[in-house]
Amino acid sequence: MTKPVLIVGGGPAGLSAAHALASAGQKVVMVEKEDRLGGAPILSGYAKLVPSHEWAKDAIGGMVSRVEGNDLVEVHLGTIVDKFDGNPGDFKATLKNGKAIEAGATILTTGFTHFDSVNKPEWGFGTYPDVVTTTQVEQMLSSGAGVKCPSDGREPDRVAILLCVGSRDRQIGREWCSKICCTVSANIAMEIRESLPNCNVYIYYMDIRTFGLYEGDYYWASQEEYKVKYIKARIAEVTSDGKRLLVKGEDTLVKRPISIPFDMVVHAIGMDPNVDNMTISAVFGVDLNKYGYVNKTSTYAHLAETNRPGVFVAGSATGPETIDDSIAQGQAAAMAALNMVRNPVLEAAE
Amino acid sequence: MPIHEKSLIRPENLVEHDELVIDGVDVSGHWSTFIETRAISDYNEDLQDEIGALGGGENIHRCWQCGSCTNACTVNAINPDFNPRYWIYLIRLGMESELVRDKDIIWQCVSCNKCTYACPRDVNPEGVMKATAHWLEMKGHTEKKPSMIFDEAFSEQVFDTGKIEDGLVLRQFFQRTGQPLTQPWLVTLVTGLIKRFPVFYLMRLGLATVFRPRTKGWSRAKAAINEYVEEVEAANRKALKLDAKGAE
Ligand SMILES: Cc1cc2nc3c(=O)[nH]c(=O)nc-3n(C[C@H](O)[C@H](O)[C@H](O)COP(=O)(O)OP(=O)(O)OC[C@H]3O[C@@H](n4cnc5c(N)ncnc54)[C@H](O)[C@@H]3O)c2cc1C
Ligand code: SF4
Ligand code: SF4
Ligand code: SF4
Repeated sequence: MTKPVLIVGGGPAGLSAAHALASAGQKVVMVEKEDRLGGAPILSGYAKLVPSHEWAKDAIGGMVSRVEGNDLVEVHLGTIVDKFDGNPGDFKATLKNGKAIEAGATILTTGFTHFDSVNKPEWGFGTYPDVVTTTQVEQMLSSGAGVKCPSDGREPDRVAILLCVGSRDRQIGREWCSKICCTVSANIAMEIRESLPNCNVYIYYMDIRTFGLYEGDYYWASQEEYKVKYIKARIAEVTSDGKRLLVKGEDTLVKRPISIPFDMVVHAIGMDPNVDNMTISAVFGVDLNKYGYVNKTSTYAHLAETNRPGVFVAGSATGPETIDDSIAQGQAAAMAALNMVRNPVLEAAE
Repeated sequence: MPIHEKSLIRPENLVEHDELVIDGVDVSGHWSTFIETRAISDYNEDLQDEIGALGGGENIHRCWQCGSCTNACTVNAINPDFNPRYWIYLIRLGMESELVRDKDIIWQCVSCNKCTYACPRDVNPEGVMKATAHWLEMKGHTEKKPSMIFDEAFSEQVFDTGKIEDGLVLRQFFQRTGQPLTQPWLVTLVTGLIKRFPVFYLMRLGLATVFRPRTKGWSRAKAAINEYVEEVEAANRKALKLDAKGAE
């Protein structure tokens, strides 16, 4: 009998790996830091997802119950891995709660951390209550509370979404593009326009990266069907005139400074490396890349490998990823891990 | 050269005080040159909808600012300030004052439709130019252009009789634009005609001028056309939130 596969992190990537392994008859132990499974879409209460338009609680919730209801998956909530030793086919992990676990292989699906907008004070988050993040708007929509200005509960007449907050910014050491926030912002803009038809939504961008098929369904649909407006400007600062927020910058296409009043400003926050990554790197003996995400050693031969044999990685632990890509990577990692637990010697010798 | 600064400071934004003393220092005249605020301070959120509601402007919201229209444009080749791409941007975002600044260039579109064939988003920029010129006129930013006056004289006659009597169109056009009828080129044309035309045709021309014949059974067509024109005009005025015609 082979030892189970240890999966660390119960987000979309971990859930997909667990389901794939269990479907192949492989035992799985899942360790999740928070007190429930589902990862960012569930823990942060996302609304309708890109690209399916399904509610996160239904789509990801379905992945959660599929795993929770599976006898081959043993779930440990509210704890993390403290110690990790051994070799492929024969790892030993000790959890913070003291429990010892044996594993043939491990998959790290520890995900990302939302960028904290307080680190960009010029854009007013933390100073003005009506400056919020995409995560907060997702929660307003998913909770059914509706989009309202936190300061006084009024429905906004005009909303600005600022892209690339915490991404593509050398000043704060974040040079990557978070990949999904353009599309998520277009999606949110459409949802705001749908729920508040009199509210105009403006998106301030440097580039629009609604890649692949998102171009039509999000970038163009948001403009053609929902009349969302896109303005090429990197905002310099968000202030207030006492009544409304003032968004200042340069409209680069007309070469003119702008200073436009808004009721609500939304930061399209990026995907930082998981704040735990230094610890994860030390405990599991895996390298991080120069940005601070878990390093993948090979792109083509074995999708999910880290530098340590028998320890695999998938999803946004490796860099900004969408849910679908995280799911695909979770399945790829499951395949690699399955090979490892069934043929540990062969794999190790290779 | 700092192109940025030069284009940002427009003559109307420069203010000088003939007599000004600050802290006991006389800074009269160009010593006291101030630059008024250049920042755009608001969007007119109705602008795109208004121009989009006028004939030709329907697809303006599709524009992705690629610039193909401007690049293809006949007029732009002669006057670089004629820039359909730029105006479409201003309209979409509601930068009304910026748009109105160019009111004396926008109508110069020659309707060659080169832009229409170049546009990858099927915006129909030529139509947008037409709608924009129309908007500027309806909002009272521009006078009626001579070509518009000509079109009116022309179409009024067609609507009225189902026919065109060129002489009348010309007479009305010159009258409405305050020009003398004795234009040298016209005199030459008419005397040339009289010399060369067979008498029979000249008589018919003369009769047509005096009696203004109508197309047979025109009254029903006329009613339908007038109704349609009124409908469109009323819809246009409504879209621009103007009072009903005549109540201005
Ligand atoms: C505002 C916003 C909206 C988004 N909307 C969409 C969308 O509509 N469509 C889309 O495709 N993508 C969307 N994304 C991206 C999406 O969130 C990610 O693709 C997805 O969450 C990645 O899944 P994951 O499993 O890799 O990581 P995560 O979802 O981050 O899951 C990681 C899990 O690991 C746990 N964990 C972390 N550290 C440890 C540890 N040390 N030990 C144990 N457990 C740990 C976490 O608690 C979490 O449960 C959005 C992102 C943002 C910021
Ligand atoms: S996806 Fe868009 S908003 Fe997000 S970092 Fe990339 S360019 Fe910026
Ligand atoms: S139709 Fe007008 S805008 Fe278009 S190319 Fe010709 S002149 Fe330029
Ligand atoms: S060619 Fe079409 S899409 Fe391109 S700028 Fe002109 S109107 Fe816009």
